Amino acid sequence: MAVARTDLARSARPPWYRDVRVMRWVFQLVVVAVVVTVLWRLYSNATSNLRASGLPTGFDFLDRKSRFAIPGLQDSASFTVRQAFIAGYLNTLRVIVVGIPLCTVLGILIGIMRLSDNLLVRAAGTIYVELFRNVPALLWIFITYLVIILQNLPPLSDEVTPFGAFVISNRGVGIPWLNPDASVLTFIGFVGVAMVAVVGVSLWRRSVTDATGRPSRSGLYGIAAFVVVLAIGNFVAGNSLALDPAKVNGRQVGGGLNIFPPYLGLTIALVLYTASHVAEIVRGAIQAIERGQTEACQAIALTTFQRYRYVILPQAFRIMIPPLASQFLNLTKNSSLGVAISYVEIASIFQRVSNNATPALQALVVLMFFYLTLSLGISLIANLINRRLSLETRA
Amino acid sequence: MKRKWIKASAIGVAVALSLAACSSDDDPATSSDDGGAPAATASGQTLKDIVSRDALKCGVNGQLLGFSNVEADGSYTGIDVDYCRAIAAAVLGDPDKVEYTDLTAETRFTALQSGDIDVLIRNGTWTASRDGALGLQWTATTFYDGQGMLVNADSGFGSIADMGGTTICVQTGTTTEINLETYFAGLNVAYEPLNVVDEAAVLENFSSGACDGYTTDKSGLASFAATYDGDVTILDDTMSKEPLGPAVREGDEEWFDIVQWVVFATFQAEEFDLTAANISSYTGTNPSVLAFISQDFEPKLGFPDDQWVVRVIEAVGNYQEIYDRNIKPLGIPEGLNQLWTEGGILYSPPFG
Amino acid sequence: MSDDFGAVSAQEEPLYGAPRLPEGGTGGVRAILRDNLFKDLKNSILTLLFGAVLAFIALRTLRYLFVTARWEIIYDGPLSFYMVGKDFGRTGISYEMLWAGIYVAMFTGGIAAGLGNRSAGPAMSLSARAAMIGGPLFGVVFILSMTRTITPTILTVGAVGFLLLGSQAARRVRGALKRRLGLIMLALVGLSFGFITGFDPSNIDLFGGLLLTLVVAFAGIGLSFPIGVVMALARRSSFPLIRPIAVGYIELIRGVPLISLLFMGQFAIGFMFPPGASIPGPIPRAIIMITLFSGAYVAEVVRGGLQSVPSGQIEAGKALGLSPLTITREIVLPQALRNSIPALIGQFISLLKDVSLLVIIGLQEMLGIIDVVLARREFTNQGYTPEAYAFVGAVYWTLCFSMSRAAQRLETRLGVGTR
Repeated sequence: MAVARTDLARSARPPWYRDVRVMRWVFQLVVVAVVVTVLWRLYSNATSNLRASGLPTGFDFLDRKSRFAIPGLQDSASFTVRQAFIAGYLNTLRVIVVGIPLCTVLGILIGIMRLSDNLLVRAAGTIYVELFRNVPALLWIFITYLVIILQNLPPLSDEVTPFGAFVISNRGVGIPWLNPDASVLTFIGFVGVAMVAVVGVSLWRRSVTDATGRPSRSGLYGIAAFVVVLAIGNFVAGNSLALDPAKVNGRQVGGGLNIFPPYLGLTIALVLYTASHVAEIVRGAIQAIERGQTEACQAIALTTFQRYRYVILPQAFRIMIPPLASQFLNLTKNSSLGVAISYVEIASIFQRVSNNATPALQALVVLMFFYLTLSLGISLIANLINRRLSLETRA
Repeated sequence: MKRKWIKASAIGVAVALSLAACSSDDDPATSSDDGGAPAATASGQTLKDIVSRDALKCGVNGQLLGFSNVEADGSYTGIDVDYCRAIAAAVLGDPDKVEYTDLTAETRFTALQSGDIDVLIRNGTWTASRDGALGLQWTATTFYDGQGMLVNADSGFGSIADMGGTTICVQTGTTTEINLETYFAGLNVAYEPLNVVDEAAVLENFSSGACDGYTTDKSGLASFAATYDGDVTILDDTMSKEPLGPAVREGDEEWFDIVQWVVFATFQAEEFDLTAANISSYTGTNPSVLAFISQDFEPKLGFPDDQWVVRVIEAVGNYQEIYDRNIKPLGIPEGLNQLWTEGGILYSPPFG
Repeated sequence: MSDDFGAVSAQEEPLYGAPRLPEGGTGGVRAILRDNLFKDLKNSILTLLFGAVLAFIALRTLRYLFVTARWEIIYDGPLSFYMVGKDFGRTGISYEMLWAGIYVAMFTGGIAAGLGNRSAGPAMSLSARAAMIGGPLFGVVFILSMTRTITPTILTVGAVGFLLLGSQAARRVRGALKRRLGLIMLALVGLSFGFITGFDPSNIDLFGGLLLTLVVAFAGIGLSFPIGVVMALARRSSFPLIRPIAVGYIELIRGVPLISLLFMGQFAIGFMFPPGASIPGPIPRAIIMITLFSGAYVAEVVRGGLQSVPSGQIEAGKALGLSPLTITREIVLPQALRNSIPALIGQFISLLKDVSLLVIIGLQEMLGIIDVVLARREFTNQGYTPEAYAFVGAVYWTLCFSMSRAAQRLETRLGVGTR
């Protein structure tokens, strides 16, 4: 009896090297040890090699003078490397902030075109998507900048000036912009406040609707709130909205806001390229929603616009968010291709900095850090929206 | 059944490809102790590597007429290329044993630091910070250049001081960019830089009128003007000193000496009127010329034998011949690039 | 940077679904025209508007292609620069050998396609078939029109022949041969690689143009595949210490642009080798970074495939008393990998397009070789840029379009998402 029990106990508890629970941890520790060792070796090799080459290993270079000028920025030659990086980061943000909304709008338009029941409209959508999607973004950037913009926009000597407030030339496209005599920062601050106010007002209206059942009219209230806050802002900042028209000023586009050709080329190319991907996402999402819903809409006599605006797009939007977020990330990362046409975004700053006797390895760490913050930021926003929308469906 | 072969092939492909990758990453010619790692170069190591692989790895521009340019058959021509050939002739006995690597302004110094190439002859300017902070050494100057400004002939600009408020095309990531900033700041003239990546982009910008002027080394401007379809002038102002020449990694003194003295040999040959055609049949009795040709005073510079001067000059000629072949067709005035005896500053230390 | 071509489609509707054809329209040409173009006033206006725009674009394009464009930049470039780079002659690989490699590769591709064919998918409509064949055919004719002799055309036709031959062979093999087909295909891939590199992988350093683009893309996807599978399994594993490593790797790589990784390959990894070690050349270094980059994306594709395997399959395996390793190897992975094939092709197309970034680090793939050609004595400063970009764009378009169509067909055939 006793012998049998011992046998049982022994078989229930195998030796440690055959115990799954133990081996799981041993295996994991071994893997972690290998990974850590490899990374440590790479790091120590890098530092010792840098030291042996007489190259600096720290980040002191960030405080040195950059010595190169950044187009469109006064006194940029006296910037430190750190300031140059930040200026480049802002230029990257300029591409993203303009590019993401534009490519979404264009993508939705093309996506809907591809589902049209008109053969030619559908064909145009298909040609657009297949043309832009199957050629590298970099090639589109080259074509847009070097061929389309530089060769087809008029030189500054015979510029086009629509409405006397815009300037179109291959030295820049000038648009009317906020009154430079007013405090731009204050006004932008108020724009932010106005946006918050719109969100607040629409939340308030919704709660009113939920409580009383009266129509929310959040759009109307939102616009009113926006206008009021902006009017106050305009007054405080010193009449920012007295727009400053763009005009030709000697050999430059002066007044207003001058959009430089490299920026234009990069942004247009990225918008066109990304829109072709967005269009496919939109089409897939609409097709997934559409069945049955279209007939229902037609039964209650909604127009095509109403059908998309009130029924299909709101539902399709929910499916679209994760793949759309990934396209926005792609646009963000592709903005680094500005380096190929010398648009002075952050990768281009890296390239110049690393060529002027600066340790490339550390400059690279800085570059990657900036992009990680961008990627994480966009993912975070996408996750928040996604969570909000999926909660709504459950309610 | 099907599952199995998918799995088998997946694993197989993985293994095969990783094996293939290992072997492709291991350049057989440069395996073992070739000192590829940065700054680990001991004196003499570079030459040993070159001899063992039987080829000189030379980093060039590849896209600059007169300096280094690719012909239709894939061969290279230019003054930089000729110095690559001269060095190969000196150490390997054959000017054709050169492997050229095209480098951009951004990749050139790292390529040398990391050991991808043995010598960098890519119209690179010798500056203190590059010599110091980049871990490189410039050996000698093969071309004295200066930064200039190219404008349309009908633009009405007589000098750079007139160019207030203009947009200037400048290549990104070069000393040119910094010189431009310094020079305009010194004149207290406002301008707008328009950065361009390469000369193809310069053409698109300049010809379409997106910039008023284009600045780079005057030799580069001359080669641009020679092929540009339009009336352009190069202003007289010189914005900088641009001594261009071969650079090597710091730490290998023997290799440094070899590259430096190959360059000097071309100067000295011109001074002695020795050309590719006549050096091996020199019948004079001038003892310094004889010593130069035979190298019999045993300078111990690290060359494999004492016939290297003859090989170098027979392969590429003296400096004048190199210049006439490559730079003269572009119509660039000789300026400083003449012997010190003729009003230039080419001056070889004595061979003796 | 990556386009997640099929990545979403693992869960959603196939992105590449055939365009929705309106129902009806069986009453002859007039009825088709009426239903598709002039149904009502709004439709007629749209038709006229888009008809005008499309006609204008078509006219401009044709005029450019046949009248204004100066194609000597391509055929006198010479064309071989765009195809194999300017240093290919120095590798000592004969063009016969290169073509042999291409033929073997086409044959292998044919076998793979032939195996897929067995489970016949829904029949394709005539117009879809025409679009699938017509576009690439036009591209190939355009590219071949730049050649000086008839030889490349004959050889290209031969390559298509080998593709068909392969698919026929795959259908006919039986027995032991068929069971070993995986190994045979693997051997063929190796043979093709051997032919193309002249049995010396270091020759890759001298490659350029389209050849470099393809070699880097194939090497990148092939080498990143095992990394991707391991990382995907690790990310979905129950090991609390290993999961963060996989997550860290995947998210770090996906969070930064490819160009920063390529910069790292050119400027930084040379410093990470132990002192005295031989450092791979610029092209192998680029391949290393592209592999690391692609590995993270492949991992996400495979993870999507893993998620598509129903949990009942795993539970069934457990019920049979199989070990976790066996379940993964014999049950989960085969299904997951099969489901991720279309998305993997999508990933490959992305990678092919991403290889164009090598021009920024000074390598001479197709975009990079343009600079070499434009700097030549005969062409410099004469504004040939548009033609060169148009040609390279056409090559890219032909490759990517035909592959994306193939992926789309495969997707319908495998019925991903519908099971």
